[in-house]
Amino acid sequence: MQTKTHISARDLTVSYGEQQALNHISIDIPDKKITAIIGPSGCGKTTLLKSFNRLLDLQDGVRVAGQVLVDGENIYDPGVEKTHLRKRMGLLSQRPTVLPMSIYDNVVYGLRIHGVKDKKILDQAVERYLQEANLWSEVKDRLHSSATRLSIGQQQRLCLARGLAVEPEIILGDEPTSALDPVSAEQIEQRFLVLKNQYTIVLVTHILRQAKRLADYVIFLYLGNLIEHGPAEQVLNNPRYAKTQAYIEGKFIEEPTIHKEITLQKERSADYLTSTLLALDELQVDQVLKVVVDSEPTMNEISKAVELKCHKILEVKRIDLLHWEIIIQKQNVNFII
Amino acid sequence: MGKLWGKSFDKRKIEENIFKGLMVFSMLVVLGSLGFILVTVFAKGFKALSWEMLTQGPQGGYYIGKGGGILNAILGSLILGIGATFLAFLFSFPIAFYLNLYLKKKSRLAFLIRFSLDILWGVPSIVYGAFGFTLMLFWGIPASLFAGMLTIALLILPIMTRSIDEVLKMIPLELKEAALSLGSTRWEIATKVILRQASSGILTGVLMAFGRGISDAAAVLFTAGFTDSLPYSLFKPVATLPLSIFFQLGTPFPEVQARGYASALVLTVIVLVLSIVSRLLSKRFTRHIIK
Ligand SMILES: Nc1ncnc2c1ncn2[C@@H]1O[C@H](COP(=O)(O)OP(=O)(O)OP(=O)(O)O)[C@@H](O)[C@H]1O
Ligand SMILES: [Mg+2]
Repeated sequence: MQTKTHISARDLTVSYGEQQALNHISIDIPDKKITAIIGPSGCGKTTLLKSFNRLLDLQDGVRVAGQVLVDGENIYDPGVEKTHLRKRMGLLSQRPTVLPMSIYDNVVYGLRIHGVKDKKILDQAVERYLQEANLWSEVKDRLHSSATRLSIGQQQRLCLARGLAVEPEIILGDEPTSALDPVSAEQIEQRFLVLKNQYTIVLVTHILRQAKRLADYVIFLYLGNLIEHGPAEQVLNNPRYAKTQAYIEGKFIEEPTIHKEITLQKERSADYLTSTLLALDELQVDQVLKVVVDSEPTMNEISKAVELKCHKILEVKRIDLLHWEIIIQKQNVNFII
Repeated sequence: MGKLWGKSFDKRKIEENIFKGLMVFSMLVVLGSLGFILVTVFAKGFKALSWEMLTQGPQGGYYIGKGGGILNAILGSLILGIGATFLAFLFSFPIAFYLNLYLKKKSRLAFLIRFSLDILWGVPSIVYGAFGFTLMLFWGIPASLFAGMLTIALLILPIMTRSIDEVLKMIPLELKEAALSLGSTRWEIATKVILRQASSGILTGVLMAFGRGISDAAAVLFTAGFTDSLPYSLFKPVATLPLSIFFQLGTPFPEVQARGYASALVLTVIVLVLSIVSRLLSKRFTRHIIK
């Protein structure tokens, strides 16, 4: 896939006090595509999304390490103007939150604070964005009544309209259809498919089928670790790693039992490939080997070599700044040869 | 089995009943004292209350003449109370916003500010009076409306700030996030979003502080002074209702004491009307609020 990268995370680590929510995440999110973040509840999806527009800064005890680059610029640099940054990203939060004002005022809130006063422009914007969010027909007769009286699903669409009205470059949606019935959800999904021509869209979703319908690119997180990411086709239909497979098949995600563990340091064990294969030889079929290495090229090489020998790589994980681990399950190689 | 179950159930039921009884009792104590105060003030003050009392200044020095009224104190108290509330608001509003929008929940500075305010809240009002008086001596300011206003403003500042602060603390994080992600600055959030969401709570806090300010005697004793004339200058002494009650009740004459109760009635009614008005207003304000 040859596309421009819009947002990228580099070694992004986020912790809430003691609790580490994201663990050395490095990903590139393509421009003008839909990227879906999937993973079980509590795996850090919302945290990842909020780290993109620096909303995490609001909370106590949150520590962010690493970088997030938007158009190549690190948004965690001290000089970054957060207000501008946030304006470029429309966030639809997991729980729809309307502002304490009328429906009309909600939609034009962003326009007003950015200086639009002309009543005609505002009126047009309200109609246009409510249409885009599929809410216009339901509320057009009560635009000036309080937004808090809307149903949750309507509030969710109002938040979408409000976010679009700011004309962001990026839409960050945290389960944007969670409160909608299938028909409305489908309509919103259609919208996203149109919107992706103009916007980079990052969606968190629990619904795998929604990810299949919408996503060009998928990120799978598990317990704060980036397990797998890549083109939607590949991740959803043909996942590489065991945990992704389990999640996509709706199975319980298990930590593999490690039968043997070796640590390879670049300078000391020059022949790391041999060491790995030797270690595998000592295991029985289906037993699991964990290899800890201290450089990314080494990790890649070992993975490739092991796969060539038809062993199965269950997981590749970055554990900290300097270490990667590869979890390998021994297969019945002789049989294949 | 059945018996055992019944026993433990009985015990729980008794606990529940004891607790219920306690709650009812405490409620009765609160309502009872309120009722008792109102009845006393009404019974003793209503007879002496007259049109004349509400519309004239006192005749005969410091209310002892038994004639005239307490208009000087009513006006004095209202002006002093409103002025002090306004002054206090000018400071407490920004402090409360700073605490909630600029500082994090667990920040040390926020803790320190809240802690100091809580201590200030607990300082007896006579100490504020003495403090104001010391400053006045230092700067050579005589007892005056202005000095009284400043002292009362100081007295109610912690009350107002902390009650606004508590209201702002209740604002959900999601609301701030939603407004921030539309590109608002914190100031815009404060004035356009939070002020609406919290307006009724803020109003209640302000009126509560006003009620406290208008009914305090000790803080104005040395600072605002007392006089028979209606308030006419910021830099002249001013009469206040609490002090007029104090002086009138302190005389040996039953008629003047009755007038003291009438003054107390006036003050009570002012405070009561205020709280009712604040209730009514807050209903209007809560129209758009997220619950
Ligand atoms: N404010 C917080 N303080 C402490 N821990 C937090 C906080 N917010 C999130 N966490 C923890 O961080 C982890 C990731 O949370 P996050 O909200 O990102 O999960 P999620 O993937 O969005 O889950 P869900 O699908 O349920 O929304 C969780 O273990 C959660 O308990
Ligand atoms: Mg979430």
